[in-house]
Amino acid sequence: MVAETAPRAGHNAAWYPIATSDDLPFRHVYHGQLLGQEMAVWRADDGHVNAWENRCLHRGVRLSIGINEGAELKCQYHGWRYANRTAGCTYIPAHPADAPARRISNRTYRVMEADGLVWSTLSPDTPFALPPVDGEKLALRPIPVNASPEMVLTALVHARRSGSDVEALPPLGAGLELADLPGHPARFFVQPVDAARAVIRGIVARPAGDPLPLLRQFDDVLEALREVIEADAARVELPEPIVPVYQPVSVELSSMPPITIGAQNTLRVVVRRKFPAGADIVGLELGALEGHLPTFQPGAHIDLHLPNGLVRQYSLTNGPGEQLSYVIGVKREPTPGSGSQAVHEVVREGDVVAISEPRNNFPLRRDARKTLFIAGGIGITPLLAMAKALEAQGLAYGFELFARSDAHIPFPDDVGRLGARVNRHLGLDPGATSAAIGRIVANPGFAEQIYVCGPGPFLELVREEAAAAGWPESAVHFEYFKNLKPRDSSKSFKVELARSALSLDVPAGKSILAVLRDNGVNGPASCEQGACGTCLTRVLDGEIDHQDVYLNEAEKREGKVMMTCVSRARSTRLVLDI
Amino acid sequence: MSTTPSAAVLNLWYPISAGEDAKPGQRRSTVLLDQGLNYERGADGGLTVWRATDGATALPVIERYGFIWTSLGTPPAELFPIPEYAESDRFNICAGSIGVNVSAPRAIENFLDMGHFPYVHTGILGEEPHTEVKEYDVEISGERDEVLATRCRFFQPQAALSASEGIEVEYVYRVPHPYVAVLYKSCPAQPSRMDVIAIFCQPMGEEMVRAHLMLSMLDDVNTLTSMRRFQQTIFGQDRPILENQYPKKLPLDPRAETPIRADKSAIAYRRWLSQKGINYGVIPEAA
Amino acid sequence: MIILYDFELSAECYAVRLLLGFTGLAHEIRPVDMFPGREQDEAWFRALSPDGTLPVLDDDGLVLTALPAILAHIAARSGGLGRWWPAAARDEIARWFAHAESLADSALRARWIITTGDGHSLPVLQARAHALLRTLDRHVWFAEKSGADWLAAGAHPSLADVAVFPAVALCEEGGISRQDYPAIRRWLDRVRRIPGFHVMSGVFPAGPARADVPFGSQ
Repeated sequence: MVAETAPRAGHNAAWYPIATSDDLPFRHVYHGQLLGQEMAVWRADDGHVNAWENRCLHRGVRLSIGINEGAELKCQYHGWRYANRTAGCTYIPAHPADAPARRISNRTYRVMEADGLVWSTLSPDTPFALPPVDGEKLALRPIPVNASPEMVLTALVHARRSGSDVEALPPLGAGLELADLPGHPARFFVQPVDAARAVIRGIVARPAGDPLPLLRQFDDVLEALREVIEADAARVELPEPIVPVYQPVSVELSSMPPITIGAQNTLRVVVRRKFPAGADIVGLELGALEGHLPTFQPGAHIDLHLPNGLVRQYSLTNGPGEQLSYVIGVKREPTPGSGSQAVHEVVREGDVVAISEPRNNFPLRRDARKTLFIAGGIGITPLLAMAKALEAQGLAYGFELFARSDAHIPFPDDVGRLGARVNRHLGLDPGATSAAIGRIVANPGFAEQIYVCGPGPFLELVREEAAAAGWPESAVHFEYFKNLKPRDSSKSFKVELARSALSLDVPAGKSILAVLRDNGVNGPASCEQGACGTCLTRVLDGEIDHQDVYLNEAEKREGKVMMTCVSRARSTRLVLDI
Repeated sequence: MSTTPSAAVLNLWYPISAGEDAKPGQRRSTVLLDQGLNYERGADGGLTVWRATDGATALPVIERYGFIWTSLGTPPAELFPIPEYAESDRFNICAGSIGVNVSAPRAIENFLDMGHFPYVHTGILGEEPHTEVKEYDVEISGERDEVLATRCRFFQPQAALSASEGIEVEYVYRVPHPYVAVLYKSCPAQPSRMDVIAIFCQPMGEEMVRAHLMLSMLDDVNTLTSMRRFQQTIFGQDRPILENQYPKKLPLDPRAETPIRADKSAIAYRRWLSQKGINYGVIPEAA
Repeated sequence: MIILYDFELSAECYAVRLLLGFTGLAHEIRPVDMFPGREQDEAWFRALSPDGTLPVLDDDGLVLTALPAILAHIAARSGGLGRWWPAAARDEIARWFAHAESLADSALRARWIITTGDGHSLPVLQARAHALLRTLDRHVWFAEKSGADWLAAGAHPSLADVAVFPAVALCEEGGISRQDYPAIRRWLDRVRRIPGFHVMSGVFPAGPARADVPFGSQ
């Protein structure tokens, strides 16, 4: 006898089936529950099955009433989007101009699919181990039973053919032959939905021919068994429902933004693929060493740490929910020793390189009636990610692409998949480029937005033409990779390094970064003009004179971090967390 | 297990019925804070309310804003003011009393929220892609002891029945009572004045509320039926959201959920409930 | 002209609005203040509907008050009788009408009790509704296994889907969870994706199911 010794249903560390594979059809959200914890379970278009705590972290609304958009799940209440795999929030419609600065991530549960069932566990680390079975399996219709899971398992064991064996399938399963269906051994797993609710999930060997008669036979027997169990359950006192555990959100998330970004974590990725992506351009696919990569938003970039010691920024081209690897594009530059040269000549497939977590200084509004993307050459990369996001959501956009020739179109496969939306402008001289842009931006409309990316002069040209055509400045979005603002380094002041217990003088004309280096304090830095964010440093005290173009206005106002390469002090001293 | 209401909860006035539903000589019953109540209008129009378990003791009763209010404790002498209600050219309407499986504070917080308009009231109070909640001001008014949100604006495709095309609508929100919210909404017909829409919550249990809806409108085009239908449609759209909130009680611990800037009024409301010692329909902050 | 005497929160009225949406038939809505106004008890309305029931359909003087008759009339008027009420499935569809009525008697009554705050016997009604949903879930599960999307036989949705959908879509307002009925939840998605589908208060739209999304998967 197995049932009497079966572990109790409160066995949180174990794996249990929570659904049938067929319960997760295209673009559906399944309402699951395990040991009192509700789950929103959904299959993304890439096949990945997500099992998340069934509440939006914003206002607690069940995500099982949300919409499966294929790569993201959309909450029904305020339209928040959560990414496939990571459950990270990628878009908050109430603040369409902001990138969600905070890492808002829903609680996820691990999932396995085996033998036609979907399995999950409340444990973060118990390995999945299901005794293997031979041959093709057929999942029976799940039978919900209002009784304790232990009662259900006991009843199943008692319903076996008299004298026959029982295969123990801990924690709440049994392989057996039902007395009313001799000759059809089955494996039954009891899903502990709650203290007094269970689901019988069975799998049998797929019969030759039409499986329906067998499925119906099992269903009739199990339905009859359910009635017996529920009648028994009505005569005993059932346990109280399990009180679900709501994990508190982090302290950072619990208060109101603006929140400054923390120091950037670096992570290691493997170069999965290095491929030609247009003339003079290589694409790099950077894959997670295990699992998935951090959530990103369209427009985001990463820092790439190169073998020659340089750190360079590259925009991600990924579509929504593509969390297994990041794809970037790098154009060949003639300068020896440049980051571009290192990527083209040194980096090889299989190399492990360091990158930063994605950061987004180029957030995409999704509240536009129409979005116009204007790309110059390799500047297409962040706009590709944006167009893919709008495409997935079915929002209107236009795409104007400028390149030297057809062969110079970056990421031609991606561009091809955007189809007729892309207008190609090839081989135009500066005059013709100017005229083309003039035509493109000629008619600004209500609630329309322009996103432009490309070489500096191209960007300036679009901004000028758009302004001349009457576009409001706030509707023309671009990203600084260079800091063009006038800078003032005339003031001298003191910096104190809290962790190194050093006090240093920063004279006029010299940056904090340079003074730190002079004194042997070496931290990461890259553009050294306040554009890339690599030298971001926490400030513990003092008033900052921000001169960078990296931090947003809210982050600058809060004054907790600075760029040591260009920013200085308004106060006579700054205390840095170094 | 239900919470024993604190004095702050017991001493409040609570709506239990539309005044017009209590016909003379008809005894009616309802539930308030898990307690059965009976009430009856006498032939003279006067009202009596008593506990189902105690026919000998009459509970306090007043009739305001079209509804009957009572209390299980020692209520203040007067209810919060809605001065507009007395203006002679307004339509004052009881738009229905609708039961919802949720705590009263969740219902109030939803009433204060603009960000859900494009998703829950699609095509009526909001519409994608116009999803932005612009900056607004919120304060806890010391003078009146109420939460006040002003300068609220939101794009609406059909702001009211008397509006035919999309406009940016202005709102003022007041929470003058832990389970009551009053909304002032710019009225296309009379730019200098505002329509008033109020939700008066009757917490039957901690996770079960009856929302009494009151309108005080400047609209003189639409019929009573169409105004009620409009308001019931809106509230009916909120209902499945409210009933799918999890947990059903409003968590007052700041780490329970994730606020954004658009939620300033909700944050102020939660803090205010905490400070007042409201313990019913909420999950109090851990000490 | 087709006139529908309608109450927004009524599930039976919603069935009629649904079919009008699916068929695209031109019509006019006349709101009736059932709650809290009890306008259905007034003489003018009783002249149309002697029992004071909603919905009522008036097609140029032909007044219909029974839901099956109203739905069949709309199907016929739209030229879609063969699709929505195929002769071969009429017995089956009639049984689903009966099922919808039983759901109205249990799930929708529970919903109305919670909505209006008067009346009793919720647990009994809820248990009856669960029994009906169980039957429905089982039916849909086996229909899916045989490749069928809809309640009655055939590749096109029928009046059976239209009649049963509102009570099922609104049952959670009666305190009846659909969590134990995954096949029903999938069928609700399918109905909500029929072209011309309209929501009502209490029912959310389903996301579009597009197989041709060019991006968004790896």
